[in-house]
Amino acid sequence: MSEDELALPSSAWRQALWRGRWPLVFISPFFILFAVFNVYPIAFSFWLSLHDWPGLGPMDFVGLTNYVELSHDTIFWNSMLNAALLFFIYVPVMTFLAVVIAAVLNSRFLKLQGLWRALIFVPNITSMVAAGYTFRLILDKDSGALNHALAFVHVSAVPWLDDVWWARISLGLLMVWAWLGYNTVLMLGGLQTIPPELVEAAKVDGATAIQAFRRITVPLLRPMIVFSVTISIIGTFSMFTEPYILTRGGPIRATETPVYQIFTTTFQDLRFGYAAAESYVYFAIIVAVTLFQFWSISRRDPVH
Amino acid sequence: MSHDDTTPKENPMSRWPDWQLTRRQMMQGLGAAGLSLPSLAAFLEACGGESTPAVTTLSKDTTGSITIWGWKDSLNALKLVDGDFSAAFPKITFKYVERPPAETYRNIQLAIAAGSGAPDVALIEDSHLPQYVNLGALADITDWVKPYVPKIVNYKWAWTKKSDRYYAMPWDPGPVAVFYRRDVFQKAGVDPNSIQTWDDFYQAAKTIKQKTGAFMWQQARARNDGRLFETLLWQRGTGYIDKSGNVILDKDSKVQQTLEYIGRFWADGLAADQEPWTDPWYKGQSGGTTATVVEAVWMGTFFKSFIAPKASGSWGVFLLPTWESGGSRASNDGGSVLAIFDQSTQKNAARAYVEFHLGRDQSQLLMYQKTDIFPSLKPAFADPFFQEADPYFGDQKVRTLFAEVAAKIPDAGIYSTDYQQMNSLATPEIQKFALGQQSAQQALANAARLIRERTHRS
Repeated sequence: MSEDELALPSSAWRQALWRGRWPLVFISPFFILFAVFNVYPIAFSFWLSLHDWPGLGPMDFVGLTNYVELSHDTIFWNSMLNAALLFFIYVPVMTFLAVVIAAVLNSRFLKLQGLWRALIFVPNITSMVAAGYTFRLILDKDSGALNHALAFVHVSAVPWLDDVWWARISLGLLMVWAWLGYNTVLMLGGLQTIPPELVEAAKVDGATAIQAFRRITVPLLRPMIVFSVTISIIGTFSMFTEPYILTRGGPIRATETPVYQIFTTTFQDLRFGYAAAESYVYFAIIVAVTLFQFWSISRRDPVH
Repeated sequence: MSHDDTTPKENPMSRWPDWQLTRRQMMQGLGAAGLSLPSLAAFLEACGGESTPAVTTLSKDTTGSITIWGWKDSLNALKLVDGDFSAAFPKITFKYVERPPAETYRNIQLAIAAGSGAPDVALIEDSHLPQYVNLGALADITDWVKPYVPKIVNYKWAWTKKSDRYYAMPWDPGPVAVFYRRDVFQKAGVDPNSIQTWDDFYQAAKTIKQKTGAFMWQQARARNDGRLFETLLWQRGTGYIDKSGNVILDKDSKVQQTLEYIGRFWADGLAADQEPWTDPWYKGQSGGTTATVVEAVWMGTFFKSFIAPKASGSWGVFLLPTWESGGSRASNDGGSVLAIFDQSTQKNAARAYVEFHLGRDQSQLLMYQKTDIFPSLKPAFADPFFQEADPYFGDQKVRTLFAEVAAKIPDAGIYSTDYQQMNSLATPEIQKFALGQQSAQQALANAARLIRERTHRS
């Protein structure tokens, strides 16, 4: 809405509303649903975070007590740290692979493009519960297929799910498997917006394919990479099904994510108010990290 | 029945073979078992006396329509009684909603918080019960449940009460004993009767490992769930908390002693590192690579049905070894109740259902015979069925053994209003201990500190 419109006298406002009544009616379902299922719960959660509530009976107003307790809750901050570690374990690898695979898929010389594109996307539409259980079987230290395969090439068994760091890496593997296709499709979309003449011109000027890719394609793909990394940040911190199925948050809480923690606080500890406070802090941190990421990248963005 | 549910493990119950019996099949089964249920009329007459207020105080014209939530194997057991229930209360209709335990609890939680949508009756494990009782989500059934108090093994009532009011009807207890592989013990030359103390048990473990290569038990390290630890604490009448609710993990020397005892099996390579309720864990039991399983009576059900159905005759059972001479040989793991929800508008029909299914010796016995869910009604223990040999256990009379244990289960501070939370705070510390990253003392000190912080106990 522009400033001109805001400056209209109230009668003109009413007229404008009246004139736009049908369009407004037609777009209203979204806003009504959004208010009921998003705005209201978000507001209610904040109200809830100022209370102690076991899920039944009266809510006990406690002010900011929950937030104070949360500030020194080692288990909650550990879950934040886990998410950050997980992010660094798999997102760089996944993003790199997504760019490379997208470039290959975008190549004019590749046959059966549709088939490869579909195949790379299949994991994304597979049920995460089924995939998680399958990974559990494959990664089992004694009976898993992966360790059997490693034994075949004389590599000793890896405690995939029985060691703090390996469990994080295993979770990262599952994430890459599940989300690589989605990110590849994003990159593919980005690549297709880049005019082929730029690369051709560079090649005419004597650049090798690798040089052209590094100096021209990747920089022009930057907005899409930023977008992809941003949703990966959000995805990593809000990861739930993957650790819930693959590692149960263990061993020794190594793969508990913030959302996993919020779930436990709600459904196991029955501390709805505290869980709401956790949600708010978690949300604030995600927003802050995302804004920081946008800011730091847009500073160096050659496109804008 | 019960199994770990604090973390959402794969549910072993869901593997239960699909034998929802039709009424005819059920009656045939009963005939084969040499049983006959009294007809309704005979039954009503018989009830004039002592045993069942269920049918005497509620009219057979009681009407209602109820929903029962629970998980597969237990619902299958309850369904065995449905035919007779419908005959006794023809005007009550009922339906079951079957979900794994974790999902059942989550849905209950949501229904409670939403203020509507709870079932009329739900199956609840003893480990989860105090939470709901404390919350005030369950209907007060004191008025009609009181007559059952002297009839049911006493320890089961502990979690059903709040300020002397009753909120649930006990079903199965979880008496614990040692299941052992006869073939492995024989090969190692170890006589199970010689194992009287936990020290004997440890010595036997060494002999068995040396002579047969089999592990004494399966205990995960990095994925430990704390269940054996809890079971052994229970045997000693201790636990997370004392009678007044104060945390004693770091104060009772028995607790540390117990954890250190379990630790010796890891340190000396006598425990197989397998996560419970996974395929390798089942295999360890079916394949004879593990000599014992310290678990509740319901473990036998799982052996027979899906873990080791072909191992008939190779398992036996002996009482828990003692910690000190003359000490307790009984412990508990799991167990469940049926509870009626406060939200229910069909409380009479729900009561009829619960009383008929759990309040009659015949019902509990029938379910025990067909599905191995152990009864808690003491008169049921007197049934000749208990004296029969069980061919799966090499014709041992295991039923009397478990009945004996069930009657002697000590009070212990394991299940409470925040058992789930205490278990999930303690297990990572146990895992760290199991992996050799901290001492038992440190593990318990850390667990105790976290529990005090998060549950506001002293």
